Amino acid sequence: MFISFVTIKGGKNVEKRETMWEAYLRRGFSRRTFLKGCVALTSLMGLSTDMLDKVVEAAETKPLPVVIWMHGHECTGCDESFIRSASPLASDLVLTNIALEYDHLLSAACGEPFEQHLEETVKKYYGQYILAVEGAVSTTNNGTYCMSGGKPFVDNLQHVAKGAAAIIAYGSCAAYGGIQAAKPNPTGSAGISHYVGTKQVINVPGCPPIPEVMTGVVMHVALFGKLPTLDSDGRPRQFYGNRIHDTCYRRPFFDAGMFADHFDDAGAKAGWCLYKLGCRGPETYNSCGNLRWWQGMSYPIQSGAPCIGCANANFWDSGACFSERLPKYGPLPDVDIIGAGLAAASVVGVAAHGALSVVQRHERDKAEAKENEGKEQVAGK
Amino acid sequence: MKAVQRKMFYLFSPFLRIFHWIMVDAIIVMFVTGILIAKPPEINALEPAQSMLLVNIIRQIHFLAAFGFCASFVFRVYGFIINKGDRLFPRFWEGHFYSETVDVALHYMFLRKAHKSYLRNPLARMSYFGLYVLVLIEVLTGFAMYNMSEPNAIGGLMFGWVNTVLGGEMMTHIVHHFTAWAIVLFASGHLYMVTRAEFMEGESEVSSMFSGSKILAHDPLDAKELE
Amino acid sequence: MKHIVVDPVTRIEGHLRVEASIDEGSGKVQDSLSSGTAWRGLELIMNDRDPRDAWAYIQRICGVCTTAHALASVRAVEDALGIKIPKNANYIRNIMAASLTVQDHIVHFYHLHALDWVSPVAALSANPEATAALQNQVLATYQVPLRGPVALETEAFAKELPRATPSYFKGIQDRVKKIVDSGQLGIFAAQWWDHPDYNLLPPEVHLMAVAHYVEMLDKQRELVTPHVVFGGKNPHPHYLVGGMPCSISQDDGNSPVNTARLAIVDRAINLGRTLVNQYYLPDLLAIGGIYAKAGRVDGGGLAKERVLGFGQYPLDTYNTTSDGSFFSSLLIRCNGVVENFAAGADKAKFTELKGEDLANPDVFGESVGHAWYEYESRDGDDKAIHPYDGQTKPKYTGPKVGTPTDWKELDEKGKYSWLKTPLWHGKMCEVGPLARYIIIYTRAKQNLLPDMTWAEKMMVDQVDAVSRVLNIPPHVWLPTMLGRTAARALDCQLNAEIERFFFEKLINNLKTGDMQVANMDKWEPSTWPKKAKGVGLYEAPRGALSHWVNIEGGRVSNYQCIVPTTWNACPRDDKAGHGAYEKAMIDTQVKIPEKPLELVKVIRSFDPCMACATHLYNTKGETIRIVTTDPYSGGQTVEA
Repeated sequence: MFISFVTIKGGKNVEKRETMWEAYLRRGFSRRTFLKGCVALTSLMGLSTDMLDKVVEAAETKPLPVVIWMHGHECTGCDESFIRSASPLASDLVLTNIALEYDHLLSAACGEPFEQHLEETVKKYYGQYILAVEGAVSTTNNGTYCMSGGKPFVDNLQHVAKGAAAIIAYGSCAAYGGIQAAKPNPTGSAGISHYVGTKQVINVPGCPPIPEVMTGVVMHVALFGKLPTLDSDGRPRQFYGNRIHDTCYRRPFFDAGMFADHFDDAGAKAGWCLYKLGCRGPETYNSCGNLRWWQGMSYPIQSGAPCIGCANANFWDSGACFSERLPKYGPLPDVDIIGAGLAAASVVGVAAHGALSVVQRHERDKAEAKENEGKEQVAGK
Repeated sequence: MKAVQRKMFYLFSPFLRIFHWIMVDAIIVMFVTGILIAKPPEINALEPAQSMLLVNIIRQIHFLAAFGFCASFVFRVYGFIINKGDRLFPRFWEGHFYSETVDVALHYMFLRKAHKSYLRNPLARMSYFGLYVLVLIEVLTGFAMYNMSEPNAIGGLMFGWVNTVLGGEMMTHIVHHFTAWAIVLFASGHLYMVTRAEFMEGESEVSSMFSGSKILAHDPLDAKELE
Repeated sequence: MKHIVVDPVTRIEGHLRVEASIDEGSGKVQDSLSSGTAWRGLELIMNDRDPRDAWAYIQRICGVCTTAHALASVRAVEDALGIKIPKNANYIRNIMAASLTVQDHIVHFYHLHALDWVSPVAALSANPEATAALQNQVLATYQVPLRGPVALETEAFAKELPRATPSYFKGIQDRVKKIVDSGQLGIFAAQWWDHPDYNLLPPEVHLMAVAHYVEMLDKQRELVTPHVVFGGKNPHPHYLVGGMPCSISQDDGNSPVNTARLAIVDRAINLGRTLVNQYYLPDLLAIGGIYAKAGRVDGGGLAKERVLGFGQYPLDTYNTTSDGSFFSSLLIRCNGVVENFAAGADKAKFTELKGEDLANPDVFGESVGHAWYEYESRDGDDKAIHPYDGQTKPKYTGPKVGTPTDWKELDEKGKYSWLKTPLWHGKMCEVGPLARYIIIYTRAKQNLLPDMTWAEKMMVDQVDAVSRVLNIPPHVWLPTMLGRTAARALDCQLNAEIERFFFEKLINNLKTGDMQVANMDKWEPSTWPKKAKGVGLYEAPRGALSHWVNIEGGRVSNYQCIVPTTWNACPRDDKAGHGAYEKAMIDTQVKIPEKPLELVKVIRSFDPCMACATHLYNTKGETIRIVTTDPYSGGQTVEA
C-alpha cells in the first residue's frame, strides 16, 4: 500500500508541516545530534546501518505526520506503553517527530472544543493523517456499551477512519478484540479491521505491545513515508517475524530437555525452560525475545513467568489455564490420559469382539458341517 | 469334506504396499516422538552443552518422519494411477454401496452370520477414507506449526492460514495432538479387523499387504472394479 | 442556569462524561452528574476461568494503575484458598505496589493534571533568567525533608536535579514558541488557555512546570523497572497465586532475580526518591501555595463528610484477609472510615474496619438504581447487594434528551452510568490518597493508633509540614481539590520511602538464606475446597480497591471488583445522595460556564481511572441551554 500524504510535498495542506530535520533545527540541535538520532533509530528499527542514508534522507525531507489516536474498549495500557519508549523518547516523538492532534491520555483539551478540534483536523488533513486506534470495537446494542462524546465509539471510528491515510491497530484489543472479546464476549467486541472499510490496518498486537515496537512503527512511517513491510496478518515483519520460542534466551534449555516443573523449583531458580509451566512462547510472535522490554532488560520469561501469548489472536481463550501446556484443553483432563484410556478400552472391546467372533464362527462351521452332512446323506441315497 | 475352491486376485500394487508400510513406521515414530515433545523427558544435565540436546533430537526425528511420510505419498499416487486395485475410495455414488455397508456392519455386530464376499469391503473403505482425513489434518496442522518459525517464507504463506482458521496456533497444537490420538485409535481397530479377517474369515487381509494378492473362497462382489 | 456537558474528559484512564447545571450569576454548581460511558463486561468474562489465571484477566481492567488489579486478584484467590505467601513474595509485591504508586502519581501530576494548572502559552512570556532563579528558590524553600528508617543507603548523591540555568529554560521556551507559532499545537491544541485560572501563576512558574512536564515524560519510565525485573514487563507485569514467579538464586546468571537484577531495582528506588523530593513536592508546594493564598480551597465535597480506606502494606505474611489478620499486620493502618473531618481532626468520627465486616452485607454493598444494570431481586435495583452475591446484568436505558446513540443530556432521575454505586453502611465514601491521610491523621490525633509505625508518623509529619507551608490547618486544606492533589504528592514521597524500606527487608531476609518466593502447597485444584470465597484488599494509587471471588469446583463462579473510581465516580443513590465526583463538582466555583476548567480540574484531582467512560452533566429541569459535545455537529450551542 502506498500512502499519498508522503508524496505531496508542499501541497496546500502540508505547507506548514515541518520535517524532522526542521524540527531538530527548531529545537536547536546540531546536525551531528540529528545524525546520531538517525543512527539510533536505524538500529532500533532493526535495519542495517547501510540504510542510514535513507533514514537521513527521509527525516530531512518528509513532512511530519499528523496522528489521531482514538480509544475504544481499552485499558489505556497501550498509551502507557507508548510513553515508556526509550528510543525514541516519548517526549521527542510527541513534540518533534509527529503532530499528535488527538489523544485522550495526553491531550490538554477535553469536551466540546476537543471534539471540534478532531473534526477540524479530520477535515484539514483528510486523506493524510495516521489513525492510531487503541481498544476494541463494541457493536452489541448498537455500540452503546462504548460511548464517547455522546456517540458510540464504532460510529466515531468509522467517521475518522474514512479520511485516514494509514490505520494502526495498537494492542491486541484493536487488532483482535482482546480481553473484552473473550468468551462470552458480552459486549460483542472485535478488532477494528472490519469497521474501517477496505483500508489496510497495521496490526501491532500485544497486551500491551513493547514500547519501542509501538514507537518504531510510527517512526518508520515518519521517516520513510511508507508502511513497514507487513506480514499476511498485517503485522510489521521487523517486529513480529519471529516466535518468542525461537528467539528466547532459554531455548537451549528446551532443546536440552531442562525444564522448570513447578514454580520456584530448582529449575525455575536456575532459569530453565518454562515450557512445562504453560509457556506460550512456541506459539507467539513478538519481539520479546529480541528487543525485550526496557531495551533488553527483561521479558516475562526472563522474570520466571511463562509467556501467556498476549500478542496472539484469541489468546484469552486458548486451551487450558495459562500455567498448563498441552495436551490439556479447557476443563478436560489430560488428553493423553483420555487417549490411553480409550486405547485400553478398545483393546478390551477388541478382545470381546474377537471372542464373540470365535463363537460365531464355531457355530457357523457347525451349521455348515451339518448342512454338508445333510447334503452328503442326500447324495448318498 | 469338500475341498474349497479358492481364487487369487491381484489387488495392491507394490507402490501402495511401500507407502502403507512407510506410513505404519512413520506413524509409530511420530506418535512416540510427538508425545515426548508435548511432555518432554527430564534430562537434568548440568548445562545444555552436556545434554546432547535430546528434545531437539526428538523434534528432528519427528520432522524427519513427517517429511518421509509425506514424500512416500508419491508412491500412493503412482499406484493409484497405474493400478485399479489401489483405488479404494468408497463408492458413495453407487447404490449397492449402502446395502453392502449395512451387510458388513450387521455381520460385525453379530446380527448376521456372515457378510458377502468383497475384495475390499465398504466399511473398511470408509474407515480408510476417515484415516486420510485425519492424516490430512495432521499434515496441515503439522506444516502450519513447522513453517511458522518463519511466517514470511513460502511455507508460512502456504500453511499459515491453518492457524488463523483454527483460531490461533495454540489451537493448532491442540488439534494436532487430539488428532494423533484419533489415528492411534483407528490403528488399533484396523489391526484387529485385518487380523480377524485373516485368521477367522480366511480373507488374507494381512498377507495381501505383503504379497499384493488376496485369495478368496467366494467370488467377490466388487471383482469387476479390477477390470 | 446553564447546563454543560464535558465528554470526553481527557487525561484520565477510560471514558468519562460529566454534566453540570451552573448558576451563571454566582458560578455555583447546582447539580452535577458523572457517568462512566463504557462497559466491557469483564466480570462476566471471569466466570468459569481458572482462579490461578484470574489476575491476568482482571489486570486488564486498567493499564494505568497496572498491577493494582493483579495484586488484589491474587490476594482474593489466596484468601479464598487459604494460601500464605512467603516473606520474599510479600516484600516483592510491596516494592512493586509502592513503585507503581510513585510512578503513577508522578505521571498523574505532570502529564494528566498539570495542564489544568499551567499553560505552555503562558510560559512564553516568562523570563528564562528569572525562571532559573525561581527554580533555585523553589528548591530551597519548598522541601519536606522526611525520610524512612533506612540503614542501607546506596546512592552517593541525587543524580537528577532540576536544571536551573537560563539557557535551559530558554531552550524549552523557544521550542514551545515554535510549536505555538507553527499552528500545529499537537497535544496542546484546543484547550481553554485563555481561562483566568492560568493567570493565577506567574509566567516563570508556567515555564518551570512545562520544562518538568517534558523531563518527567522521559524519566517516569525508569521508575517502574522493579516491575520489569520482578514481573517481566510493564504495563501488565506477571503475578502468581501463592507468591511471585520471579525465583531468586544467587548462584545462576540465568536466574530471574540475582544481585545484578536487584541492583536495577535499587537504582529505580533511588531515582523515585530523587524525583519526588527534587521535582514533584517542590513544584506542588510552589503551585499549591499560590492557589491556597488565592483562597482556592473548594472542591472538597464528600471528603469533608466521609472517607474510606482499607489499609496497606502487610509488614509480614499474614494468614488470610477474611479472618482479619491482614488488618493486624499493616504498615499503614488506614483501615476504616472517617466522617466529618471538616469539623477538625479532633471532632471527626472514626470507625474501624474489621475482618468480620468484610462479608457482612450490611457493611458493604452495591446498588444499581442509577446504573445501567438490573438486579434480579425482589427489592429492586436500589437495594445494595454484597459483592459476594453480586450480579452484573446490563440494562441500557439511553439518555433523557437525545437518542440512545446520540446523547444530549443523561437522565439524572433514571439510570445514567455504567458504574455501580458502592456503599458502606448504606452511605457514600470517598477513597484515595486523601482518604488515607485523613484517616491516619484523625486516628493519630485522637490517640487511636497505638505504637505508630514510622510510616504513620511520617504521614502525620507530612501533613503538619504542609500546613505550616500553607499556613492553613489540615481540616481546611486537606478536604479540597488542592488537598487531594497535595495528598497524592505526599503519598508519592511516602511510597518512595516504603519502596526502600521493603527493599531493605527483602535484602535482610535473603541474607538469612531464605530464597523462597512461591508457596506451591495449594497449587493443584485437587487440594482446594469444593466451594470457597475470598476478598483481596489493596490501597491502589487511586484508593481502596477490593476484589471478591467465589470459587466453585475449581473454577471462578462469581467475580466482582469494587475499584476506587467506582467509589468516587459512581452515580448517585436515592438514599445516600451524590457520589464523590458529583459532590466535588457541586462544591466548586465555576467562573465561565462555557469553559468549566475548574470542574475538569476537580475531576482530575481524583485521578479518574474509568476503564469505561465519563460524561459531565447537570440537571434540575431548569436547564436553559445545552452545550453539545457532539463532535460532528460543529459544536453549536443549541437551545433546549
